[in-house]
Amino acid sequence: MSNTFCVTITECKTNGDKATLGFVVANAALGSDKDTMIFLSADGVWAAVKGEYEKIDEGAPFAPLKDLVDKFVGNGGRILVCSPCIKKRGITEDMLVDGATPAGGAALVEFLADGAPCVAY
Amino acid sequence: MAGVPAHWEFDEVYDAVDRGCGDFIIDLKRVVTHLPPGTNLMVASRDAGAPVEIPAWCRLTRHRLVDAAPPFYLIRTRS
Repeated sequence: MSNTFCVTITECKTNGDKATLGFVVANAALGSDKDTMIFLSADGVWAAVKGEYEKIDEGAPFAPLKDLVDKFVGNGGRILVCSPCIKKRGITEDMLVDGATPAGGAALVEFLADGAPCVAY
Repeated sequence: MAGVPAHWEFDEVYDAVDRGCGDFIIDLKRVVTHLPPGTNLMVASRDAGAPVEIPAWCRLTRHRLVDAAPPFYLIRTRS
């Protein structure tokens, strides 16, 4: 069984439900002792932008996205954010939440090529 | 707590009320992290997915599911 787990998220403002679910599952992986990485791309990058991720709240039974993201990072989860995707949207590194790092596709490929299972939202 | 099997013996209790899935699991991990090995933890979760979720979490983390009587679960932390 792999000790790593990856979640990719491609929507946030366009579909807050998907961003929320992605982080819920990532927290399940992290809470199950998996070294867990979230890769945000396309519209999903907004889930790691300060001043934006606070706006997504799908309501009960889901926690607000901010709580899910902060809990993920606070428990040692890693967030990689597609660098051309943030550049396209005028987002700079200082606008990202703590624990989120811009990265290119090679970082995702490396993580998956090492055997990490991946689920996409 | 009403409904807990009378013969269960446990050291700690974590009542998650109706929470389930990942947000519950990551909090459960935090609770277990602070317990000594071999602790008997009684977990309560009234989420509909808990009867599947908690046994899966125990298999993944190698904590032992001693017994289950939904919504109650008796877990012994791994050594």
